[in-house]
Amino acid sequence: MVDETLYDLLGLPRDATSEEIRRAYREKARRLHPDHNEKPGETQLFIDIQQAYETLSNPEEKQRYDKNLPTQPQTPQPLLTRVQYSRASLTQMADPQLVYVLLELLPRPDADLPTPPLNICLVLDCSTSMQGARLDAVKATAIELVRQMRPQDIISVVRFSDRAESLVPAGMNINRASIETRIQVMQASGGTEIYQGLEAGMTEVRRYCSNNHINHVILITDGRTYGDEEACLRLADLATTQGIGISSLGIGSQWNDRFLDQLTARTGGNSKYIAKAEDIRQFLHEKVIRLGHSYAEHLTYQFETGPGVEVTYAFRLNPETSLLEIANPLIFGSVPRDASHNLLLEFTIRDIPPEDRQTILAKGVITFHIPGQKVQINHRQRLEFSRPVSPEPDTEPPSATLVQAMARLTLYRMQERARQDIEKGQIKEATRRLQNLATHLLAQGQRDLARSVLNEVSHIQQHQAFSEEGDKKIKYGTRSLMLPPGTKEKKS
Amino acid sequence: MIECPNCHNKELPGALFCRECGAQLVGIAGMSTQTIPGIPTDRLVAEAQKLPSSPTPAAPTGVAVSLHIFDTGEILPLEGRTEFTLGRSAEGQPILPDIDLAPYHAYENGVSRLHASLSLSQGQVSVTDLGSANGTRLNNQKIPPHKPYQLKHGDTVALGKLRIQLLICS
Repeated sequence: MVDETLYDLLGLPRDATSEEIRRAYREKARRLHPDHNEKPGETQLFIDIQQAYETLSNPEEKQRYDKNLPTQPQTPQPLLTRVQYSRASLTQMADPQLVYVLLELLPRPDADLPTPPLNICLVLDCSTSMQGARLDAVKATAIELVRQMRPQDIISVVRFSDRAESLVPAGMNINRASIETRIQVMQASGGTEIYQGLEAGMTEVRRYCSNNHINHVILITDGRTYGDEEACLRLADLATTQGIGISSLGIGSQWNDRFLDQLTARTGGNSKYIAKAEDIRQFLHEKVIRLGHSYAEHLTYQFETGPGVEVTYAFRLNPETSLLEIANPLIFGSVPRDASHNLLLEFTIRDIPPEDRQTILAKGVITFHIPGQKVQINHRQRLEFSRPVSPEPDTEPPSATLVQAMARLTLYRMQERARQDIEKGQIKEATRRLQNLATHLLAQGQRDLARSVLNEVSHIQQHQAFSEEGDKKIKYGTRSLMLPPGTKEKKS
Repeated sequence: MIECPNCHNKELPGALFCRECGAQLVGIAGMSTQTIPGIPTDRLVAEAQKLPSSPTPAAPTGVAVSLHIFDTGEILPLEGRTEFTLGRSAEGQPILPDIDLAPYHAYENGVSRLHASLSLSQGQVSVTDLGSANGTRLNNQKIPPHKPYQLKHGDTVALGKLRIQLLICS
């Protein structure tokens, strides 16, 4: 980038507070420290940010520096934000209370940009269990995707079991016929070591990784990885800092859904479940179309909460429902070109001191980039959530949109809690909760899902545990209820 | 702390749904319900034909809303929560409707296990058919499933062939 300011270096807007400057510096310094950094040039970057911090943390020097800054060109913010709160005001009291926030992020309507090229890697599990229909479906779909790629797109394919092999290295102007043969002759053997596959997949994506591309690793697996989970999660964090997203597809009932949810959520991606091999095709096509429809990528919200305020739950409703990891920064994911990014946040406020008139729930900056733009800049937009405080509880009911979204999320959280009940050995509570869940599902006309829940209840009564299949059916089934109307997902 | 009217679980102020049973704890702004205009000719025709038109019994005092089962003349008060599912219990089925109509010949009258739901909010009552097999009629007009319809005092709701009258004490 030309004429990078010290603020740009730290990834901050020019009106950043001293606290934000300190926080951004610490976060960057930790990552870029010569003991930890990965890429050449990062040590120099480390020195640069230290100098930036020295200047900006000193009020006098900061003032002098700010005076000489060229005026910023006034461009409209590329994302429109809409915030709905569940309550018009918070109540003045010493006890904890909750408030829900529905955040919508939309591309500015005049933002007409060319579709950015894709840079994706398919990471395919070729362990013994994939043998047969699963591997055949994966092969056929992979070949279809290679054929569909536009000339500017980059696709690579990695197969893995106990070790990984790059079947189709990332590159342009490749011989498509030879790719197809290589995919066709793939054989299943060995175990599932996800770290191996992920590492190789990221290496491929990294070759052409740029902010002008949509960089994504798509992991398809049917098994459980052992012992390398921590390493995988570290890899996911690294992917996020490098602008690479990870999504996954779990086939059948043997894979570790919690682990893959966690892994993908850290990069703003999501994980999905399918029961049958036939559905692989649909998943992959949808996934690639969705990636191509991305407007803004890698939305990250670095924030500070108000005193006594905590983010207790975060769930993305669109695109692609996913539970977000509660962390700072929150990784939001992407904003599609033709729809809004919808996020539900739950804030718990411990107590509100009597003199407070306004409570800041969270304030901070979302950073992102827009792959379709010719000149890449790191976009930053301020985002603040706050509520007035009143002595009396407010009686105004929340909007129907928010209540509907929460109604669906409540169903998802009920099954989440049933799972926690079982972990604590509270079988009765778990089954009662699932029966309640089934009743709600029936009332909403979700007969199939309700039936799965009831089957699970009898399984739990007999075995004191979830069945591996029912567990995933219910989790991903209640999750898909939250998709906005119109985006129908095939039931698996 | 607020208490769930359904299962008496305690939730933090500001909660929208009960985490235990999933019941909704707040009203909704601008909830749209559709009203079917009552057809006075129905009653006129009934009178003209000297059909036994059923009188509207007085609602029990102290209870806002109750249901009058035509066949047996029984009156069921609706109390303690804001959402009621109507249906019939069946053996071997773990789901119980809030209002079990099995004692009132529900099976013979074609009532589904989860047939319809009634919701009460701020003095308004509405009925929603839950996709039942034999449908729900409001004052002899069939209503489409999964859409709330507002009710008023004296309205007749038929679940299959089981006729129920709504009594609202103002």
